[in-house]
Amino acid sequence: MKRLRAFRLTEEVAAALVFAAVAVLPVAISFNPYYLSIFISALILGAVSIAWNLLAGVCGQVSFGHAGFFGIGAYVSAILVMKAGWNPYIAMGAAGLAGVTGALLIGIPAFRLRGPYFALAILGFAEVMKLLAVNLTGLTEGSQGIFNVPPLPGFRVGGVVVDFYVSGTPNYYFAAVLMLAVYLAAYFLRRSNTGLAMFAVQGDEETAAGIGVPVLRTKLVALTVSAFSTALMGAFYTHYVHFLSPDMAFDGYWTVMPVVGSLFGGMGTLIGPGVGSLVITGLDEFVFKRFFETGHKLFFGLLLAVVIVWAPSGLLGRRVRKTTHGGKG
Amino acid sequence: MISAGTIVQSLLSGILEGGNYALYCLGLAFVFGIMRIINMAHGEFVVLGGYAAYWLLVKWGVSPLLSLPLAAGIAGGTALVVYRVLLQRIRTTAELNTLILTFGVGIFLANLFLQLWTADLRNIDVGWAQNPLSFVGICISFGEIAAFALSLAGVLGLDAFLRRTKTGKAIRVTAIDRDAAALAGIDVERIDLLAFGIGGLLAGLAGPLLGMLSYLSPGAGIAVTIKAFILTVLAGVGSIPGLIVAGMILGIGEAMTVTFVTSSYRELFGFTLFLVVLLIRPSGLFGRRT
Repeated sequence: MKRLRAFRLTEEVAAALVFAAVAVLPVAISFNPYYLSIFISALILGAVSIAWNLLAGVCGQVSFGHAGFFGIGAYVSAILVMKAGWNPYIAMGAAGLAGVTGALLIGIPAFRLRGPYFALAILGFAEVMKLLAVNLTGLTEGSQGIFNVPPLPGFRVGGVVVDFYVSGTPNYYFAAVLMLAVYLAAYFLRRSNTGLAMFAVQGDEETAAGIGVPVLRTKLVALTVSAFSTALMGAFYTHYVHFLSPDMAFDGYWTVMPVVGSLFGGMGTLIGPGVGSLVITGLDEFVFKRFFETGHKLFFGLLLAVVIVWAPSGLLGRRVRKTTHGGKG
Repeated sequence: MISAGTIVQSLLSGILEGGNYALYCLGLAFVFGIMRIINMAHGEFVVLGGYAAYWLLVKWGVSPLLSLPLAAGIAGGTALVVYRVLLQRIRTTAELNTLILTFGVGIFLANLFLQLWTADLRNIDVGWAQNPLSFVGICISFGEIAAFALSLAGVLGLDAFLRRTKTGKAIRVTAIDRDAAALAGIDVERIDLLAFGIGGLLAGLAGPLLGMLSYLSPGAGIAVTIKAFILTVLAGVGSIPGLIVAGMILGIGEAMTVTFVTSSYRELFGFTLFLVVLLIRPSGLFGRRT
């Protein structure tokens, strides 16, 4: 890593390298469907992690409930398409907006207080959303789940037919494009005035408020953008796997893994969480699961603890660990 | 139809259940009140204590009431190790770090339980706990009464410890002003370690009760952590006796939801209450307004 730093690995260069690697990866694995399916979920996770980190790494607000947004997105899109006959692409956008609604519902009460209130409120929020998905059977089919969620409609680019049903490759590239979109949204937001405000809030909320940063509004912007992106990925996920159940859509995986991926990749950068997620999915699939088939997730807990204590800057990027003043914390 | 008897019954079981909630959340509330650290692994500590009692009962037939000290000791010991090895190193950094770290510890423990003891739901099944005590058609089980008594003893015991003993006073002083406490000759580092250990101990104490009145599973911890935080906020941060009242409000509300709406929306009550408290009175019922 030291050597890389000497080359001045900037955010932009790193991101360009990552997306170039993502673009050629299917060729490198010669479109093997099994590996492709693993990398598709890695890309979905990558996008969610980038979104999570916009909130946590840039704005300083930890969320333990992104599974809530992911599940909302998946359900809203599937229901709109299957029960109201919407076009899946439009339904995905609506799913993102549903995520925003959820974000405001939880953010407005919980962001008024400093401290861990938001992190825990959103954890409860995700549980409640899952509860609703299980119990609103008229809408969600309850815990048995929704079968045959239609894939994204195919289209033609020049002479090439893109069909999301037959092969994994279009899904892979669509997921990559979504991850790129989420990344670019985070990137430009970070460079805007609002992004500066977010960074100020992360540094010290009181000081930020003192110099005129609208703290609540800034946090809400970070949260809503993050929730929109996450719900969008949830919507894509359901059209990709064609099936949906409360356990799957609101799986704690979507809460835990963005935290792990972001920390592992480096919360101080925007692309780091994407890289971290890709690496960690690979590690999980090819290493951890070989060790402990049932409890392989214990490695994620271990990794979180080790990274935050001994390597808080993660794989890429500068140190994000900050010392607060005084000892009272 | 819902009769007066049903209402009284659900009110009573709500009160009892709520009393137990106070013990489930005591460890988390204590650590948050004293150290301003939310222990996201709190629920896993509770479950760990529960498993200890469960295995003692299954392997050697030890009554869960007798295994309470051991359950508390194991969870407390784990908490000490976690604090000493990990938490202490990042104690003074941004709050986000302690949240994520303890979250990681929780994930580690939950999946360790899963790996060691499978995902089976386990109930600490002792005959006497199910025996009902009936009175004019209203029944409560001995298990519920024992749990309630223990919960009350835990809360009052902790409160007395903090008010009466020298160590307890040192812990309170450290919480109020760390620098002043250090100047007065209190070893604040040791107090931190002690406080986190006590938090784990209290969590472990709740485990056997959870296993007796409900069930244990590797993933059961997260719901306990959420409930504990809701109660801590409802009671007001720093108010230990307030936890009993807050627990009862939550318990009664849940029981009423089960009676009048449906049992599937039980958990919804607590969360709604939590959001309302955050909006209207973020300092909680018994907390000081800031």
